[in-house]
Amino acid sequence: MKSFFRNCHLKARKASFPPSLALLWGGQATKSAPTTRQMLVKYFDTSVMVLFLFSQVVLKIIKHYQEEGQGSEVVQGVLLGLVVEDRLEITNCFPFPQHTEDDADFDEVQYQMEMMRSLRHVNIDHLHVGWYQSTYYGSFVSRALLDSQFSYQHAIEESVVLIYDPIKTAQGSLSLKAYRLTPKLMEICKEKDFTPEALKKANIGFEHMFEEVPIIIKNSHLINVLMWDLEDKSTVADKHELLNLSSSNHLEKSLQLLMDRVDDMSQDIVKYNTYSRNLSKQQQQKHQYLQRRTQENAQRQSRGEPPLPEEDISKMFKPPQPPPRMDTLLIAGQINNYCQNVKEFTSQNLGKLFMAEALQGHN
Amino acid sequence: MSRFFATGSDSESEESSSADELTPKAPGGNFKQSLLISDDEEDTKRVVRSAKDKRFEELTNLIKTIRNAMKIRDMAKCLEEFEQLCRAFLKSKTIVDKEGVPAFYIRLLADLEDYLNQLWEDKEGKKKMNKNNAKALSTLRQKIRKYNRDYETEVAAYKEVNWESFSQWSRSSSDSEGEAGEDGVSAKAFLKKKPEAAPEASKFLKTAGDESSSSDDDDEDEDWGSDTVDSGSESSDEGEGKISLSASFEKPKMFAKGTEINVPVVVKKLNEILQARGKKGTDRAAQIELLHSLATIAGENNLGQGILVKIKFNIIASLYDYNPNLAAFMKPDMWKKCLDCIDELLDILFEHNNIFIGENIAEDSESLAISDQPFRVRGCILTLVERMDEEFTKIMQNTDPHSQEYVDNLKDEGHVCGIIDRLLDYMETKGSTEEICRIYLRRIMHTYYKFDYKAHRRSLGLQGETKSEQDQEESEGEDSAVIMDRLCKFIYAKDRTDRIRTCAILCHIYHHALHSRWYQARDLMLMSHLQDNIQHADPPVQILYNRTMVQLGICAFRQGMIKDAHNALLDIQSSGRAKELLGQGLLMRNMQERNAEQEKIEKRRQVPFHMHINLELLECVYLVSAMLLEIPYMAAHEFDARRRMISKQFHHQLRVGERQPLLGPPESMREHVVAASKAMKMGDWRTCHSFIINEKMNSKVWDLFPETQRVREMLVRKIQEESLRTYLFTYSSVYDSISMGTLSEMFELEIPTVHSIISKMIINEELMASLDQPTQTVVMHRTEPTSLQNMALQLAEKLGSLVENNERVFDLKQGVYGGYFNRGEFGQHASLDAIYTIYVFAYQKGGYQQNKSYNRGMLSQTEVELWIQKNNISDHMTPSQAYMPLIFFRGCVLYHFRF
Repeated sequence: MKSFFRNCHLKARKASFPPSLALLWGGQATKSAPTTRQMLVKYFDTSVMVLFLFSQVVLKIIKHYQEEGQGSEVVQGVLLGLVVEDRLEITNCFPFPQHTEDDADFDEVQYQMEMMRSLRHVNIDHLHVGWYQSTYYGSFVSRALLDSQFSYQHAIEESVVLIYDPIKTAQGSLSLKAYRLTPKLMEICKEKDFTPEALKKANIGFEHMFEEVPIIIKNSHLINVLMWDLEDKSTVADKHELLNLSSSNHLEKSLQLLMDRVDDMSQDIVKYNTYSRNLSKQQQQKHQYLQRRTQENAQRQSRGEPPLPEEDISKMFKPPQPPPRMDTLLIAGQINNYCQNVKEFTSQNLGKLFMAEALQGHN
Repeated sequence: MSRFFATGSDSESEESSSADELTPKAPGGNFKQSLLISDDEEDTKRVVRSAKDKRFEELTNLIKTIRNAMKIRDMAKCLEEFEQLCRAFLKSKTIVDKEGVPAFYIRLLADLEDYLNQLWEDKEGKKKMNKNNAKALSTLRQKIRKYNRDYETEVAAYKEVNWESFSQWSRSSSDSEGEAGEDGVSAKAFLKKKPEAAPEASKFLKTAGDESSSSDDDDEDEDWGSDTVDSGSESSDEGEGKISLSASFEKPKMFAKGTEINVPVVVKKLNEILQARGKKGTDRAAQIELLHSLATIAGENNLGQGILVKIKFNIIASLYDYNPNLAAFMKPDMWKKCLDCIDELLDILFEHNNIFIGENIAEDSESLAISDQPFRVRGCILTLVERMDEEFTKIMQNTDPHSQEYVDNLKDEGHVCGIIDRLLDYMETKGSTEEICRIYLRRIMHTYYKFDYKAHRRSLGLQGETKSEQDQEESEGEDSAVIMDRLCKFIYAKDRTDRIRTCAILCHIYHHALHSRWYQARDLMLMSHLQDNIQHADPPVQILYNRTMVQLGICAFRQGMIKDAHNALLDIQSSGRAKELLGQGLLMRNMQERNAEQEKIEKRRQVPFHMHINLELLECVYLVSAMLLEIPYMAAHEFDARRRMISKQFHHQLRVGERQPLLGPPESMREHVVAASKAMKMGDWRTCHSFIINEKMNSKVWDLFPETQRVREMLVRKIQEESLRTYLFTYSSVYDSISMGTLSEMFELEIPTVHSIISKMIINEELMASLDQPTQTVVMHRTEPTSLQNMALQLAEKLGSLVENNERVFDLKQGVYGGYFNRGEFGQHASLDAIYTIYVFAYQKGGYQQNKSYNRGMLSQTEVELWIQKNNISDHMTPSQAYMPLIFFRGCVLYHFRF
């Protein structure tokens, strides 16, 4: 019953994508995988400490982006694997087709089912353990991601989202990060209460929203050997583009995005400001009203008249609608993310610059 | 009528000829005339009938429908038609006054009342009636009862006579022609007064006609030169016609036969006439005619000028009174009469030096009789002339400015000015300073907005030989500038009312500005301090002020003072209500903002069309000025987050231009300016020039200036200069150095000019460059921040405001949400770090690329140290410390720019 409900829920949010979870349970409903189910139950309480990523998964993701994604468009796909002790091993993945306006009636669920069934036939891990997504200059902290990751994690506790940054990768350093929602955030999302009070009570901040899971990329021994072999053959120049500063274009883009986020943040703060001002104003009014009421009642009592009938205060003073704060939180998270990126980028480049300066001075 | 009299050279022949000529022509001609001449009843009737035909036909038609409705007992219809009938009857009141109430009308009233009473009595029938009809019946019954009270006698008479031919009458209404004719007869038979009155009237008419025509001739000989005979005789003739007409109804005779006509009698009569003034039932036209005839009688009997002047005063006053409400304007014939009257009055005043007039002379201290003492007459000619001037404005306001009529009316302006001039002469000798100020202001008001072409031509030294004699004559007159100067200075010195002086100053400035005397105009404006307190003035003065400012702005533009022009026009143009502010038309607004009354008032304030300032010219001047200022400014501050717009309106136009999905060649003036701006943005002055100055724009705007060629040259020059500036701002980052020779070629400016422009830019720190004298090149310094740096600055700006906002929340809550917001602060610190790093990085990179590391290495080292320090401490910062990095950061930025 529950799975059915979830299924519907996800279908309604087709645009925001997540590879459907229903498949997991759907798959289990067939008799073919009772063992997996048991295994899952067994490790249900233990949290995954580390992520083992098979190199073919990395290559597949990169390939997927290169072939289908361009610009700020993102590509997504499903991760398949197993939970072994405190490791989550991701052994395979398959991409998710891009959504276009034309094929609105495309059935994701059907597609996933088919895919997983087919993979199972060729004896590949067919257990759903998360999903991946590409990102544009590190802007991935969004409501959509939160929602889908929540539904994943709600269903499969171990599931992670793998963020692949193609731009950084193109600059020479592979950027793959695995994130999970923190238990705190899971609770909040379960409550679906994003009012300031609730968030305050939960004592959650943007830095506690996501936890990163360390990634270890595993190669088979054969591949390792091949790599060693290749490294010997390649020349030095190919290997190290030591002083390449890459472009400041990256910085500009990041700054621009950062600025947009800051603007959003500002707006949110202003909104919140007005809300709290309204609230306090109303509180005052309420207070005054109550005081007046008690005074009047006291007077009436002294005159021997019956006190005024009680009125519903909450009806008279409807508290203003508190602005949802989750978006603000996400924006803060995103800003943090950008800042980290920029910092990382610049600190590397600064180092290079100083090196270059020293070299020049030396020459 | 003049065509009848024009041929007559003397009075005898005129009289005879008119009698001969008119009788046969009467049926086709003006009926007034025929009424005057002929005593043949048949003839008169025929003519009158044609005049009333239309009205009566309307009435009979309505009556017919009422009778039909009566037949089918449709009370609602009956009521409706009856109301219409009443209205129609009111409309034809003038004719009814002349003819008496038509019998058919009375008959209907009587019948209808009977019929209604009958219906009312018939309870059975009433019950059967539907609700609507019953209601209509009761209302109609009440109405007709009330209405018939006015015609009680007539109705009674009708019922008494009890026409035998009643049935015939009621059926024959279809033949309106016949009925109208018979009505005429019946009216006579039935209204006993009428037949008696008619012969008497005609008798009088005849005598009056004779008298007045002879006196008229006398007047002519006396007053008018030979050249004005036509108009004079025309107007007085018209007067006669009216006198006789009205006299026949209201006042059969002016004086009893044989009364000795002397001053007291005339004055008494005059007062008698004046007493009726303002009363409800008075026929104002008739009153004017009475006064006229009184004037002629007085003139005839040689009662002296005093009484004549007095009567003339009253004639003019009653002419002004003719229109009961303020909004209506004088009819052309009334206006003509008024002008002539004032002219005559002035003639008399000029001729006879011994007449004293004034408002302050009491009624009983007047001396009107001929005696040794000078005449003393109560009245104020100045007020009359002022009122005349206002009436003239009103006429101009109410005439369609694009019609021939307007041009014709405008021709009277000369006449008005003539009168004002004459009065001015008169006042200069006789009036008090206050009065002189007032008349001077009138004169100024008629002068200030006119461009003095003669003076202009003279100043250019172009004495064309082809000029006609008249032109020659005209050009001998004083320069309007001299006149303005003289009059205004008198007012400045003598005037004690603030308003006249303010108006005079404004007119003076306007006149200066119109004639391109920019400095005088500006100085006068600044010295008068009008800008400070004009908002306390009344709306007409404010309109004048607005007009003056606009003219000042346009003047500045012509002189090439773009900034001044822009400033002067900014207020008017930025409101978007230039039309309204200049009193040149009302904006379409909904009725909530302005009720009918206000609208009327506003309409009265409008400036007549011939004084309008061309709004398109105004807007074009403004937009072009804004373009010349804004485009270089935009180029200079491309990355400045706090950049202010110089002109909102100009930006609006630009945006409108950008929103266009398809950009065709410009059509309107605005599109031209927008297209030119775009060209200028690229530093392409040639395209800009071709958009601003071309056939279309010339005909629309530039040709409206008196010194077109000079203005265009100035404009080209400005475009070149500003394009050069824009070019340097936009593309300086591309150049390491640029030769001034090249620039001068590109913009077709002389090298010294280019040199001066660039020097100015360098001095103002707009352009980071230096001039290399020997090679004549500009060497760029490249200290402008790169786009990355700019962006970092912008971000810092934004973060500043974010911190402020956040702090405000913090203040409000006083730590209630402290934990939560502290984290917010922390987020910002992280981002501040980031910017800081970026900045250092960008800075370093710049230095690195330039290969010039003079004393930059050190700077950046210290910075990096600081940054690292900050990195360490940033994890535990208090809210108040949040500002620190920001301040520090700004300091750095400033520091960098010093180098």
